[in-house]
Amino acid sequence: MRAVPEISLPKVVLALISDTFQEARARWLFWGLFGLSTLLIAIFLFVLRIDLVQGAVSFMGIESTSRPLNDIQRFVNVSYAWVSIVLYIWGTFLAIFASAGLIPSVLEAGRISLLLSKPLTRTTLLMGRYLGNILIVALNHSYLICSIWLILGIKTRIWEPRFLLAVPISVFIFAVLLCVVVLIGVVFESAALSVMVSVALMLISTILAQRQIVIRLLDSEWSRQLWLTFYWIVPKVFDLGAAMRQIVEYDRQANWLTPVWSSAVFGIIVLSGAIYIFQKRDF
Amino acid sequence: MTTDYAIEAASLEKIYRSRFRGREIKAVSNLTLRVPAGVKFGLLGANGAGKTTFVKMLLAAVNATSGSAALFGRDSRDPEARRPVGYLPENHRFPTYLTGFSMLDFYAALSGLESRERKRRIPELLDLVGLHGWSDVRIKKYSKGMLQRLGLAQALIHRPKLLILDEPTDGVDPVGRRHIREVLNGLMGTGVTIFINSHLLGEVESFCDYVAILKKGELALEGKIALLLAKRGYRVVTSTVPERVLDEIRSEGASVEPVDRGFEISVVSRDEANSTIDKIRAAGGFIESVSASTNSLEDVFIRTTEPEMAA
Repeated sequence: MRAVPEISLPKVVLALISDTFQEARARWLFWGLFGLSTLLIAIFLFVLRIDLVQGAVSFMGIESTSRPLNDIQRFVNVSYAWVSIVLYIWGTFLAIFASAGLIPSVLEAGRISLLLSKPLTRTTLLMGRYLGNILIVALNHSYLICSIWLILGIKTRIWEPRFLLAVPISVFIFAVLLCVVVLIGVVFESAALSVMVSVALMLISTILAQRQIVIRLLDSEWSRQLWLTFYWIVPKVFDLGAAMRQIVEYDRQANWLTPVWSSAVFGIIVLSGAIYIFQKRDF
Repeated sequence: MTTDYAIEAASLEKIYRSRFRGREIKAVSNLTLRVPAGVKFGLLGANGAGKTTFVKMLLAAVNATSGSAALFGRDSRDPEARRPVGYLPENHRFPTYLTGFSMLDFYAALSGLESRERKRRIPELLDLVGLHGWSDVRIKKYSKGMLQRLGLAQALIHRPKLLILDEPTDGVDPVGRRHIREVLNGLMGTGVTIFINSHLLGEVESFCDYVAILKKGELALEGKIALLLAKRGYRVVTSTVPERVLDEIRSEGASVEPVDRGFEISVVSRDEANSTIDKIRAAGGFIESVSASTNSLEDVFIRTTEPEMAA
């Protein structure tokens, strides 16, 4: 009898990632995600075909413009920044909806017991699924954002490479929110609950980010501290989007480091919790 | 690491606790069991006896509350211990978006098979389980029996040394059962240990060498099937025996049942059988037949799990 084969970790992870892709394709999530991205690309293509850029340049010529725009380059940068924000929000929402079902599906009784009988750790199994999800979304975000960058570049003849930062930033915030999806999936095996909590976190992050205003309105010290505590705990979806906009606008005040590290810490803690619970669960 | 045992469980216990009331349910209790390498072993038990929980503890899908389990001498919680294991779960749910080929490819990759080897092994296995020609069909189109055979192919793809089958023929039609049996019979002499978890006594009796019976999570009986089913007594069938002789035989503890054109007398020992025959012959009766009576696995199972019913 031949020897039982040796296990190669990268190959096992690759198999898990490939399975996630196959499932996303079969469930039409993959095509849905790319279809909606294509729709957005088509809208941009159409909007720019009606000479929006030309109109905007004319608009800049009007002296009563309230916003002080120095030149076309500056105007295009601001436009790029706002487009990147739209893509960031659009992409993140879509990605959460598309990926929420891919974690609970693997935990179905009769499927998980067979996976666990294979010579791989539970951490590998969960991380393979997690990475598969991220790769699908990274592929979609690259397609969406690069396509729109090309359209804008061709139309305006101004090529702004900073716009492409929307890809890693959007993928990063999705990776953080996916940790929440994984945790909810592992504990409750509910795709709907995963979406609810992730979207709620995005909205809460927007509210908490208004801390400069809110803190002035709160009259007690403990309520101000409570607000700040929540602000520091919740991933900074809003702040990261705002930082991305500032970077694309060449704003030197852009603070991207704090939202990145604090969101990363949140993601690591939540994902570690998910892995711990997954290790302890009986299937 | 070398060991003579494919499976070793020592004082294995699983207690489920309800989350809110704190109620405890013992699914498996103080279970010590050794399965020698290379044998065909059947695990029997009524529904809820703890068979599946035990198997899942062996495969680390369920965490044991206490005790330990080892596969070929290696702690079963170590993923490496599961490397030589092929498993077919009960109520499996294979990803329905995969075809027969891609499903085998996926699980073979997780078991460490190289791409080239997978491409060679998969058609072989599909052929072996009678699914040749179905490799490109999505498995949501497969019947229950086909899924079960595909599951068996999945369990065999990496040439395991231990095959754990949880209710392998459950819900499968007689033709499908025979096919599965033939595949398993084909493994005889290869050194593969086959561990079948089943409630189909006939299947276990006809296929396995060893058996263990679980009752309410505890090991109630374990041993070689041949010994458990060993001769239990003798049956003497007679005709034209005077009633007084039958009364005398009854008074000595034998059971006498009327049958077609005579009586069947059951005794426990060979001496009792000879004495009974002597009495019948002395009274001018005729002996129609004498045979040794044996246990069926069902008798053993009922006596072990439901002694009141057996009595």
